[in-house]
Amino acid sequence: MEFYKLSALEIAEGVKNGKWTASEVLSAHLERIKKYDGNINSVVTLSEESAQREAEEIDRMSADGRAQRPLAGVPFLVKDNFCTEGIRTTCCSKMLSDWIPDYDATAVRRMKAAGAVLMGKTNMDEFAMGSTTESSIFGPTLNPRDFDRVPGGSSGGSAAAVAAGFCPIALGSDTGGSVRQPSAFCGVQGMKPSYGQISRYGIVAYASSLDQVGPITRNIGDMAAAMEVLAGPDSNDTTCDAYERPSFSEASLAGIEGKKIAVLTGYDTDSMDRPLIEAIEKSADYCRSAGAEIIEAQLPITMKHAVACYYMVALGDASSKLACYDGMRYGHHAEGRNLAEMYKKSRNQGFGKEVRKRILIGTCILTRGYYENYYVPATKVRQMIADEYAELFKKVDALICPISPALPYKKGLVEEDPVRIYLGDAFSSIANLAGLPSISLNVGFTEKGLPANVQLMGPRFGDAGLLALARSIENKAGCPSIAEIEKKGECRI
Amino acid sequence: MKREPVIGLEIHLQLKTKTKLFCGCSSDYIGAIPNTNVCPVCLAVPGTLPILNDHAVELAVKTGLGLHCSICDNTRFHRKHYFYADLPKAYQITQYEHPIAVKGYVDIFAGGKEKRVRVHHLHLEEDAGKLVHPTSDGRLTGASYSLVDYNRGGMPLSEIVSEPDMNSAEEAIAYITQIRQLARYLDVSDGEMESGSLRVDVNVSLTRPDGSLGTRVEIKNINSLTSIERALEYEIARQNKVLDEGGHLAQETRLWDDVAGVTRSMRSKEGDRDYRYYVEMDLAPISAGPEYVRKIRESLPEMPWDKRERFISEYSLSPEESLHLTEQRETADYFEACVSEGAPPAKCANWMRMEVQRMLHDYGIGINNFPVPSAELGKLIIKVEKRELSNTQAKDVLAVMAEKKTSLEDAVRICGVSGGKITGTALEEAVMKIFDSEPEAVKTIREGNDKKGAKVKFLQGLVMRETRGSADPAEVASLVNSMLH
Repeated sequence: MEFYKLSALEIAEGVKNGKWTASEVLSAHLERIKKYDGNINSVVTLSEESAQREAEEIDRMSADGRAQRPLAGVPFLVKDNFCTEGIRTTCCSKMLSDWIPDYDATAVRRMKAAGAVLMGKTNMDEFAMGSTTESSIFGPTLNPRDFDRVPGGSSGGSAAAVAAGFCPIALGSDTGGSVRQPSAFCGVQGMKPSYGQISRYGIVAYASSLDQVGPITRNIGDMAAAMEVLAGPDSNDTTCDAYERPSFSEASLAGIEGKKIAVLTGYDTDSMDRPLIEAIEKSADYCRSAGAEIIEAQLPITMKHAVACYYMVALGDASSKLACYDGMRYGHHAEGRNLAEMYKKSRNQGFGKEVRKRILIGTCILTRGYYENYYVPATKVRQMIADEYAELFKKVDALICPISPALPYKKGLVEEDPVRIYLGDAFSSIANLAGLPSISLNVGFTEKGLPANVQLMGPRFGDAGLLALARSIENKAGCPSIAEIEKKGECRI
Repeated sequence: MKREPVIGLEIHLQLKTKTKLFCGCSSDYIGAIPNTNVCPVCLAVPGTLPILNDHAVELAVKTGLGLHCSICDNTRFHRKHYFYADLPKAYQITQYEHPIAVKGYVDIFAGGKEKRVRVHHLHLEEDAGKLVHPTSDGRLTGASYSLVDYNRGGMPLSEIVSEPDMNSAEEAIAYITQIRQLARYLDVSDGEMESGSLRVDVNVSLTRPDGSLGTRVEIKNINSLTSIERALEYEIARQNKVLDEGGHLAQETRLWDDVAGVTRSMRSKEGDRDYRYYVEMDLAPISAGPEYVRKIRESLPEMPWDKRERFISEYSLSPEESLHLTEQRETADYFEACVSEGAPPAKCANWMRMEVQRMLHDYGIGINNFPVPSAELGKLIIKVEKRELSNTQAKDVLAVMAEKKTSLEDAVRICGVSGGKITGTALEEAVMKIFDSEPEAVKTIREGNDKKGAKVKFLQGLVMRETRGSADPAEVASLVNSMLH
């Protein structure tokens, strides 16, 4: 039995009806990770023992019929910025390289409560700052579809692991595209739910008003099941909305007949990689054949200002949220002659180059004078972007647009042309600025086997409708395959 | 032209909530072992988020209403950034652009006249931790290491910022006293400077010859009302001296040195520190809508100044008496409970101001801990009114009640003022009462027509009855005789 090929729902079904055990499923996945992760470096910490204990617990419950949990025995991985009790949580930074939290993030807790088994932590750009997963202290993750390319970022490890068949569900965090862009680069399905849909408690913050937890899967059925488990109010996070969530699994089956769906136009398609334009056209065709009406829409304010606005908001907040790493209570500590010197040395040594750069820019943005000229206008533009979308969603049910302007980058581009990488967030960061749900959906592969994903966006808290749209397209396009990571042979870790 | 001092005050009130402002940690930190009232949230462990304590908001709104402020709906918190060991997040969550209460006032009485001091705003914020610098001379710098206690970190504070409306130390003291009284009336804060639940930062400047405001100096580290008076007087004199000598004042923060009795420059504000204030996105905006505010307004107790007026009109007390009785809500409650027993208000006021006050002072306790229940004091005063006890006896009885924590009845017995021991003036009063009620008998005796002494015996009997047998018959006989002639 090739367990790694199963979907999360298939695994859970088999565990629940006694067809196989959670322990069997777990060891098959652990074995695959150990055999092949050396090729792509997607997992930074494996927690075999605790995973085995959790799987055995599920099997015990299953034996006396108590394992009727939606994700019973489903192995999963989480990005290394999710707090995990007893398992080191490093944010792939020297700053937190030996930090072990004593609590689980709400998202992790909810997954475990649903019967899912936590196997370990995935690689990421340091403190989630990056789009290539190359700035990790554990070294870069490689794209499982093409080892010469990056997996995207910052949740590159999670996306690569799902694509490689290491787990059917992995969690990432998405501040400006960090779940969806790597999902696009690795050819899997990734979602950033509406802001306030899933608790942020226990996610090491990058930017409070943008961060959101998102699941990465190989099909929308698993995605909806994960959403159903993850979404919900949390007394530990007052920005997490209290509204009563629908059943995402049921809602995802609703179809899109009669729905009005906009395709974004009016942006520079010439600078886009051609297969990605085709992917959008193909998605529109699928929607039409599923009974939806397709119209064109332009978002001039958004397309002109989103990236600049995003970096103002994100970096300003990052400089604030990362100020707590002073090396005193946790994290990297350096000695100094006085408090100020200790702070400076600890932070300088603990943070990598990109993180330091972003903290400096963010600090500058919030400094008097710059604050009024950069940050304040950015918040106004942010509101205008949200308004532009609110207007659009009065007329249509969803929007289809690119998630990334480019196919997966070659390794090392971030050093050569960092601005191009920043501009790559143009489409993905919009959903974060406006708090909207967004899905990065795979609709096929290029001749060279590179994935082509599109972005689907919906109104705030229209997550269920968006899942229905994604499922309708997926029904026509098919689910992405598992990357042939074996082709490079075993590379045991 | 004489330079006039201009004073503005920032008062931090520690709010009486059970838990901290943004986490579930106990707020009972006085005397707790360092770093025991802490949790991942108030230690800024990565991944944690603040959760606003609703009770703190309620107390802030109460205080705001007491200060005649407008309460703002949809206010937000900001982050105030600075790196220091007492601040785990490296930012303090505080209210900056959108404080919860704005534009109020406090009426004070100082220098023989009433004055209105405007309140600019009241905002909520979290307290920082406490640094301990273990140097032998207690200096704040120069220690080789420092210790930090985060028990206080995250405690809820409401900061009340006045307009620069005060012109003397006396006015400043009156303002602080008034706010402290309000805080205690509303039960929002202990308002104790000694324990740090009320802290005052002083801003003082001198007017320029053209009447405009001069350079402002902030004074910190003042820990008692007396020190505030001394610090202000010192600082006003210092500023006058600098200007008299043709010097310039720096806009700066100065620390009050209570031992030396001087202020010392702490840091210059010339560069004016940039705290990079920025909206706290981890907390949703606070909603304090009209309905919420109405409910709190309805729950407010009578304000001290209203009570003061009512005591004057309802109980015909003098303004001074009323001021004394309403200084603390508990004293006023005690007084009103005495009165409700049927004791005359003027007498109650007098007893409270003289006897009770003296005993509280001697015992070193507050009215809350006064061992004599208000009802018992009321009954005691009634006994005096009925001349069952003389004033002197009643004072003795009260002393016994307080000391031995006994009931009135037992105290009377212990004092021996019952069972033949109504004597002296109290007995004279009883005799006079009987004489007044039997004018015929008295007349007969005085005119020498009571040959057999029957009328005298009759009057003696009435006195014995009046004193319920608590008087010595021999004393009654001699007193009746002497008073008849």
